[in-house]
Amino acid sequence: MSENLIQNTPQESIPDQDIICDIQNVCTEFGDNIVHHNLNLKVRRGDITALVGRSGCGKTTLLRHIIGLTKPQSGNVLLFGENLHAMERVAQRRLMDRFGVLFQQGALFSALSVFDNIAFPLRELKQFDESVIYQLVMHKLALVELDPRDADLLPAEISGGMVKRVGLARALALEPELLVLDEPTAGLDPDRSHNFIDLVKQLKKSLGLTVLFVTHDMDTLASLAERVAVLEDKHIIADCPLRELAKIDHPFIINFFQSIRSRLEKL
Amino acid sequence: MAAASFRVAQDDQGRRHVQLLGQWSLREPSNDFAKLKQALQPFFADTFTKWDLQEIEQLDAAGAATLLSGWDNKLEGNVSLRPEHAALFNTLIGLKRLPAKKTEHDRLAPFITIGKGVLHLVHHFTEFFRLLISLLLEITYLFRRPQDFPWREFSANVYKSGVNALPVTALLGFMVGVVMGYLMSKQLHAFGADVYIVNILGLSIIRELGPVLMAVLVAGRSGSAMTAQIGVMRVTDEIDALTTMGISRILRVVLPKVLGLTFVAPLLVLWTSGWTLAGGAFASNIELGISFRFFFDYLPLVVQPINLTLSLIKGLMFGFVVALVACHFGLRIKPNTESLSNSTTSSVVTAISGVILVNAWFAIMTRGIGV
Repeated sequence: MSENLIQNTPQESIPDQDIICDIQNVCTEFGDNIVHHNLNLKVRRGDITALVGRSGCGKTTLLRHIIGLTKPQSGNVLLFGENLHAMERVAQRRLMDRFGVLFQQGALFSALSVFDNIAFPLRELKQFDESVIYQLVMHKLALVELDPRDADLLPAEISGGMVKRVGLARALALEPELLVLDEPTAGLDPDRSHNFIDLVKQLKKSLGLTVLFVTHDMDTLASLAERVAVLEDKHIIADCPLRELAKIDHPFIINFFQSIRSRLEKL
Repeated sequence: MAAASFRVAQDDQGRRHVQLLGQWSLREPSNDFAKLKQALQPFFADTFTKWDLQEIEQLDAAGAATLLSGWDNKLEGNVSLRPEHAALFNTLIGLKRLPAKKTEHDRLAPFITIGKGVLHLVHHFTEFFRLLISLLLEITYLFRRPQDFPWREFSANVYKSGVNALPVTALLGFMVGVVMGYLMSKQLHAFGADVYIVNILGLSIIRELGPVLMAVLVAGRSGSAMTAQIGVMRVTDEIDALTTMGISRILRVVLPKVLGLTFVAPLLVLWTSGWTLAGGAFASNIELGISFRFFFDYLPLVVQPINLTLSLIKGLMFGFVVALVACHFGLRIKPNTESLSNSTTSSVVTAISGVILVNAWFAIMTRGIGV
């Protein structure tokens, strides 16, 4: 009963240019397992949106649809108003340069040094000479608060927290508008994850980013998210500012909100 | 949103004013900074040019760095900026430059390279023998506790590197047999020595070609798979997980592979030699009209049975060498993609070279037997 109520709440109308990512009626199934059924979600420009839900409810799958790694069985995923899978190749690449992704494990190229990892997307553009690339890489390293001397290290030689920072620097190399983070603080100790969240917030402000992230960590959620989209039972059952979750009457959300309320009060 | 562009005006003293417009940012997809830089090159070269950045809609680090590289990495009085852009330029200029790496020429470099190579080789050999010894120790341990023998892994390896290799070894063996049979029949026919085709094919295939062909195929197919598998297990810490459970990695990972391949290799030798002989018989039947019945009746009379024993012993040795080399290289893989590919290549190359070396040594040792 309550579920229907929530789904029927009319979406506030948002001007089109303010929607960075628009997911329309997406259905995904793996064999007999239906993961998403007619799922709708809009991500607004300038927001930090968290995508939350139980483990295995299809959050990462949805994230992979958004960044174009997989294609839903039906429905559309529009990024910046365009469908990644229905584009000509050059335009598609251009579109993919407009968002940066930080994978859970960092996904750094293990054969390349930190410097070359960050320089990689810049070199691929073929618009800059090496001295400019050097300056840009150093700038990105400074942005994520890494020491320039770390630039020569290989990914196997740096700590988990640094891998995340380098991954973030690489994601930011092409000055994206949308930053997608998959479990940004997984595997970091509380202190480091706190620093990392502050870093993302600060970068969001200074670079004018839109951030979309998936997390299981309640602390990360409470301190980073501005909006939250809750994926439950194949649908987005709520998409609203974090504090407004309190008003929604749904067993999962009530349960969920209780665990973040105390954290929100501390802030 | 407009792409980055610029406008040039000239004042009364002949100095040029360059006014930059639009989005000097990577966010505007139609920008090409390489072209912009080239177009601005004449103005960069002229130090009297005045630059006006007041009307820029957006400037990011990429745009700023491109401009800075034209201005020789410094801001001078001829540039008029908005304060927020000045901050970006100053950050970029203020970035530390790492001291350039010393590229001094070292006259001893070639000797150092050779020395390092020798040490590397010595290291390989010690590691290899360490692996061999620990394998033997595990085997003696198994004599004391036979219930610890990893039967499941052993049979899985026999299946993967033996049974699954049957089609490819049969096909390739048959093809090689046909080609050899065809070429030799041509030669022998010229001397009227048709019947000797059985002697030549029989001896060369059973004693040499069958085992070596099998070893090369198995090194390429199972050896590389073993190296890659152990390598990935190392990358994902599975080997460490095994060790923490108190399970010896040699016993559970290396031993079943080595024993499995050693066990199945002689059988593969029989299988490969059989198909190669069939190929040879097929070619001689067509070329020389020698019947299959005659070919296989005559074969045991001209090729001494001891040759079959030698070929089975070779199979044992080759299987052992290929599997041990594959495990050795697998255990040396470091957690990165480059090391994985290098080690897999080295594993196959070394295994094949090792097989050929062992074969040569064995040929010398058994030179008086069976021929």
